[in-house]
Amino acid sequence: MSVIQWIARFFLAKSLRFVILATAVAILSFTLVSFSPIDPIRAYVGTDMLTISSEQRELISKRWGLDQPALTRLFLWFKQIASGNLGHSMIFDEPVSKVIAKRFTTSLMLMALAWTLSGVLGFIFGSLAGIYKDSFLDRIIRWYAYTLASTPAFWIGLILLTTFSVSMDLFPICCARPPGIGPDEVTIWNHLHHLLLPAATLSVIGVANITLHTREKMIDSMQSDYALYAHAIGDNTFGIGIFHGLRNAVLPAITLQFATLGELFGGSVLAEQVFSYPGLGQATVLAGTRGDVPLLMGIVLFSCFFVYCGNTLADLIYTWIDPRMRKEVG
Amino acid sequence: MHRHGNFSLTCAILLITYFSLPSSATTATHSNVTELILAIGGERTEGYDPTLGWGRYGSPLFQSTLLKRDAKLNIIGDLAFNWELSEDKKVWKISLRKDVHFSDKTPLTAEDVVYTFNTAAKSGGKVDLTLLDRAEVVDTHTVRFYLKKPQVTFIQRMITLGIVPKHLHGPDYGRKPIGSGPFTLVQWNEGQQMVVAANPLYYGNKPAFDKITFLFVNEDTAFAAAKAGKIHMAAVPQTFAVQKIDGMHLHAVPSVDNRGIMFPALPKQDKKSDEGYPIGNDVTADKAIRRAINYAIDRKALVAGILENYGSPAYGVVDGLPWDQKSGHITDNDLKKAQKILQDAGWRDTDQDGVVEKDGLKAEFTLVYPANDSIRQALALASADMAAQVGIRIEILGKSWDDIPQYKHSNAILFGWGSHDPTEMYNLYYSKKAGQEYFNCGYYANKTVDNHLDAAMTASTFEDSLPHWQAAQWDGETGFMPPGDAAWAWLVNLTHTYFVNDCLNIGDSQMEPHGHGWPITANIETWKWGCP
Repeated sequence: MSVIQWIARFFLAKSLRFVILATAVAILSFTLVSFSPIDPIRAYVGTDMLTISSEQRELISKRWGLDQPALTRLFLWFKQIASGNLGHSMIFDEPVSKVIAKRFTTSLMLMALAWTLSGVLGFIFGSLAGIYKDSFLDRIIRWYAYTLASTPAFWIGLILLTTFSVSMDLFPICCARPPGIGPDEVTIWNHLHHLLLPAATLSVIGVANITLHTREKMIDSMQSDYALYAHAIGDNTFGIGIFHGLRNAVLPAITLQFATLGELFGGSVLAEQVFSYPGLGQATVLAGTRGDVPLLMGIVLFSCFFVYCGNTLADLIYTWIDPRMRKEVG
Repeated sequence: MHRHGNFSLTCAILLITYFSLPSSATTATHSNVTELILAIGGERTEGYDPTLGWGRYGSPLFQSTLLKRDAKLNIIGDLAFNWELSEDKKVWKISLRKDVHFSDKTPLTAEDVVYTFNTAAKSGGKVDLTLLDRAEVVDTHTVRFYLKKPQVTFIQRMITLGIVPKHLHGPDYGRKPIGSGPFTLVQWNEGQQMVVAANPLYYGNKPAFDKITFLFVNEDTAFAAAKAGKIHMAAVPQTFAVQKIDGMHLHAVPSVDNRGIMFPALPKQDKKSDEGYPIGNDVTADKAIRRAINYAIDRKALVAGILENYGSPAYGVVDGLPWDQKSGHITDNDLKKAQKILQDAGWRDTDQDGVVEKDGLKAEFTLVYPANDSIRQALALASADMAAQVGIRIEILGKSWDDIPQYKHSNAILFGWGSHDPTEMYNLYYSKKAGQEYFNCGYYANKTVDNHLDAAMTASTFEDSLPHWQAAQWDGETGFMPPGDAAWAWLVNLTHTYFVNDCLNIGDSQMEPHGHGWPITANIETWKWGCP
């Protein structure tokens, strides 16, 4: 079988699976949402509840198509999706695709930075701890990893915020850019300045996991026969770790790194809330608490796609790093 | 009805702990400031389109309205210089100023006004114009509104609906608002901030500030930013108001943002409401119980103990508004009077258990409050303690807003309302509104009250309607206030609290409605800079 055939088959299978997965996810989330006690009209009207007549309520529900039964709405929604339209957000009064695009560009930088940070830091810490097992360094790293693993990310966010923003005044308290500055005046440093604390908070989710898994794998490699042999011919510990351990240890790290894409999405909801960072996470919270079903469904589908792509990428990277896997797939 | 999670509470507590540390930031007290940064909320996720409901409170910023209310809530002209209602009270004739331009330099004419009203009536937003039959152009600067039936509160729509330019209005208008208001939109970073600039074409007095930035952050962050000297004004909850911030003073604005107990007025019914919820409560159906609670409660103690004194006792639903009935305000904390009311009605504690009975029925009922609102929880607890002193046992129960509807007709509920539109009062007490949504949850019905409310609604001018609104509350013989039927026990009005830079002079603020934050902007075009 040629490479091109292999690639075509791979992507066809993956796309088919995605369609099935996305349909299941959509039906499931729609069912869950329709059991939600939140009344979108009540959430929209809010404190004006008493000055809005029932006739006006009917107008609002008509505008949003809420006067149709739930099954009809789901059917119409699927029909829309099939024609490539994600629908219209109720609370933003904009096409869902536009809202997601806007919000995701803000979140993307945050998530990318956090993701890279957690992957790189986690892998370095894990490798070092594994190579120098039971050393002082290993203890410090393990202590650090256990602490992070048992700490909720939003709490770390609060600590960082109060320490570095409120009392030391090194970082901004909120938002994605300085107040009162036009779009042309915002520099990349402004962006980074506002990003760093939320990204650090968000990276906490991945670091501990990756560190501890990499460490285990590294210890396994360091105790293997080939490591013993390398020792016997005079390689030093660090060299053995780098040349013999690294490739073995990187596989679980990659699996985890790509598997945490889903958690990254979840974590960004909290991190963005703490730092008032206006990304997709914040939009998700709004959509949920105010019953904006089209937006919520759009975000669910989008995150499903995002995570699925991440995992597919992980599959591809395996075959590239580990020749044994290539043979299995082939 | 604000939703605050425990999460934000944790934030607040953690942040406050750190506020005790001195801030190294410089405070923004320079002379000759022409740019302001404010954190008072005001973001509308769906955009700034008045036909969908933008600008109902505070300043519509980008647009202007036909009429407006001054600091004392009197109705004065804005775009309109003359407004009159026909004999049959169904046709409004409005004459417009001729010197008004939109910020794109096109003149504002009757066409735009008619377009705005007709569009808003159909659009299904938060502007309720279901009463409007149609709006019509008479000539370039005169319009007529035809109503389906006489209703004096229609004037509220003329006060709150900003006029949009017909030639620019469309689906994305909310994100590119153009109007004739004192400011124009420079940029809006959704979820973060909005920057506005003074409109050079504004027909009124030019604002003293060239540029104003509104930060859209939660109250905790706003307070932190104020503490760090980064903003000129922050809307903060009452619990933060006791703190001190260098270079800023506390601006406390009285409001009709009230909290009170709604009582079911009917005895237990066999039939259920249209939504399928049980109706009625045998204990609260007795007027004596409701009146006794009203007299037993010590409202001043509630204000001092729960609101840190940032509030005032509430006796009615519209305290302090021009249509408030002052003679219905009672002297409370009067246990003797409360006990006498109960005794006269036949409630006695015959089995010595501390709770009064009548014909074998114990004076006990459940008071439901929204569980995520700590102020309402405290009010519910304190009220229950005060009622216990006269032998009425109130069980309190915290529920989420999504659960409360099933309790709303058969239990007492701790609600909070407050509006500049008397329609709210009408919907709360008019008998035919019983059972719909949160209107008249208690199924309260009094023919005389209904008649007064009808008379107010069909008055020929808003000023003429005032005595009727007042009579509905208490006309000397009956009414829904405590001396009469005591349909509710109103407890407190909140005082809205803002930290304002010592050099920012924001004049006299209007008494605010239920919302805390944006309403402060009602007179934003008159704000001045000047250090004392």
